Amino acid sequence: MPSIRQGARRVTAVAALACLALLAAACSGGSGASSATTGVTINVTLAIPAPPKATLGSFTKSTGITVNWTDIDWDSLQTKIAAASTAKTYFADATDVDWSRVGQLGKLGWFYPIDSYLDTRSLTADMPQLSSFMSGGHAVGIPYDASFLVTTINKQMFTQAGITSMPTTIDAYTQDLNQVKARGVVQYPLDIPFAAAEGLSTYWYQTTAAFGGSILDGHGNPQFTSPGSAGYRAAQWMIDALKQGLVPPGNINVTDSQGQQSLMAHGQVASVFGDYSGNVGSLYDVPSSSTVVNHVGYLATPEVSGPSANLSNPDGIGIPKTAKYPAAAAKFIQWFTSAANQADFAGLNGPAKALSSYNMPSRLTAVQQLTARGNLIGGSQLATILKSSARPVFPEGAPSWYPQFSNAVYANLHSAATGSQSVAAAIAAIASTASRLASGG
Amino acid sequence: MSSSPPVTKQAAANDTEPSSGEPALRRRRRLDLLPYLLVAPLALFIIGLALVPAGFTVIESFFRVDDLDPPTRFTGLGNFERLLSDPTVQTAAVNTLVYVVIGVALSTVLGIVMAITLQHRFAGRSVLIAILILPWALPGVVEGIVWSGIWDANTGLLNSVLTSLHVFNHYHVLLGQHRLLTIALIELVQVWQITPLSALLVLASLQNIPGDLYEAARLDGCSAWAALRRVTLPLARPGIAVAMVQAVIATLNVFDQPFVLNGAARTASSVMVQTYFISFQNLDFGQGYALSLLITLVTLVLSFGVVKAVYRAVEF
Repeated sequence: MPSIRQGARRVTAVAALACLALLAAACSGGSGASSATTGVTINVTLAIPAPPKATLGSFTKSTGITVNWTDIDWDSLQTKIAAASTAKTYFADATDVDWSRVGQLGKLGWFYPIDSYLDTRSLTADMPQLSSFMSGGHAVGIPYDASFLVTTINKQMFTQAGITSMPTTIDAYTQDLNQVKARGVVQYPLDIPFAAAEGLSTYWYQTTAAFGGSILDGHGNPQFTSPGSAGYRAAQWMIDALKQGLVPPGNINVTDSQGQQSLMAHGQVASVFGDYSGNVGSLYDVPSSSTVVNHVGYLATPEVSGPSANLSNPDGIGIPKTAKYPAAAAKFIQWFTSAANQADFAGLNGPAKALSSYNMPSRLTAVQQLTARGNLIGGSQLATILKSSARPVFPEGAPSWYPQFSNAVYANLHSAATGSQSVAAAIAAIASTASRLASGG
Repeated sequence: MSSSPPVTKQAAANDTEPSSGEPALRRRRRLDLLPYLLVAPLALFIIGLALVPAGFTVIESFFRVDDLDPPTRFTGLGNFERLLSDPTVQTAAVNTLVYVVIGVALSTVLGIVMAITLQHRFAGRSVLIAILILPWALPGVVEGIVWSGIWDANTGLLNSVLTSLHVFNHYHVLLGQHRLLTIALIELVQVWQITPLSALLVLASLQNIPGDLYEAARLDGCSAWAALRRVTLPLARPGIAVAMVQAVIATLNVFDQPFVLNGAARTASSVMVQTYFISFQNLDFGQGYALSLLITLVTLVLSFGVVKAVYRAVEF
């Protein structure tokens, strides 16, 4: 029957075409990058929610570039960046560049130097944390927020404990925490996130800075091996705080954000030594997420001697080499990190233009605008810190092996917190890892 | 009965006679290609997404593949030697072994108990099965987050309940402090996830057992316990073997639960967690491939052992 034969041929043809299409799809790699800057759609993948639709719409209207936004959790995003870049596969035109990965990304060459698209020199004065994104003399990304570590305290609890003047040194701070505990204001006054995660590493770096030292020298060699060093004393102070009952015992499984959200924001602790800048306005003073509204404030980070640095912890955005439209992505990054938009995202012109969970603009002018209008709680203090005492964790740039080093830091400090090993053993293990990695082992 | 007239060979041949008069052999060959072409898309997917990556994994596990230390070069058994001498991997391997022992034993026993409970029809049985299957349908990460609210030492449900009941006089740290307890509690979360599938697999076997076998056993004076031991369990062995194999695979590859509940802590780290760190944190893909290959081989050996020990062909 001719109809059956024709049907069979048609099915065969369709099946053959399907096979060819599959083969073509499987064999096709990333296409070459286009320099088009209008009439294109770019994919932006970050670990934060998208800006309001109207705001993105205005960008599309003015540039002709449509933005597809993907919000993916930070850990998964780092895996995606590594997998896609290794496989040389396209997944986004603009994506996250974390300060801690800058050295690695710079060495791997997975991202375009952003200064080949934007004039980063002109941004330096207004973006103090841009230095955290430099690798080999080039900027791998641009910070889109101004996160740094700063101490927060529950002023009401401190007052209830009879503390009238705020501590400026580590000793006074520790004494005050003991007083808060002794007076029965709260059982465990201090939050230290001892879960084996990145937040524990950064907390230790900040505490080390407060003890007047740094973690690694310019060649990546450990600076914390002797018991008198700042890093060693910082680790000892953290573990002692847990053993002496200043930190909730359950904190051995609490991450930084969990501690802030479930302990500090609910009056379970009185202070976070290494908190995130902007948390007072975006978390502790938000009635829906906090029971300590108007009770928490920033404290100039207590130190041992000399001014304490506040270590930068910013998030950045860059253009992966596998991007389809790098020039269009650069245009978007320029727009996304502009002072006007940063101020809008932080709520300068009302909630309709704000970006949820956005703490603090990376632009100094935007921070000053917000402070002047009273939109940023503790704004003047934060602006001063950002301008004068915020420092990169690694002044010479994060080493390319930073992720492995950080893993050794949080795994060993966590282990010391659980009592599985001593502080001395933890420090020795971290130092050994740093030395091995620094020597190329 | 069909009312259509019988089709003779000649008629069938006439039906497919090409008008162009092509030779019959060539015609048959062309038509024979069709089934292959129809399965080809699926075969391509399987080859492209499973067999080719598996082949690459085997080959590249003998190479140093590290973007931070180029170029890619042959290292023979170097990746395996470095892995086997790495104390972190050794700890993770022992942890994983404990995960497997606890997980396979518990999920099998609980699966059999649940299957026997569900063997007989009763009101609401279908609803109960639907509810029981829910943990299996949930992603491991979601389960980890849910259970972290139960195990949490500061605000956890279990501590709260036990303190309220005066079993505890203060909150206890359940995860992270004691290695075996931590592994056991984490594995309990995975058991909660995989047991429903074990139960369904065993249940499928139980439903094949003819009722008259139980009737005969009862007439021979068998107690319920004896019937369970001498009829139910021996005849359910195919289902139990499959359930145990899926439990072996799941527990050997446990990742979500330890990662969510215990972070990167070595206390309860599994081999899969180490594979993730080696590959995507250290970017040492060569070692990552080698460790993946080792896990696959161990999975195959253990699964084969379980099948040999437990599986018996059953005919009714």
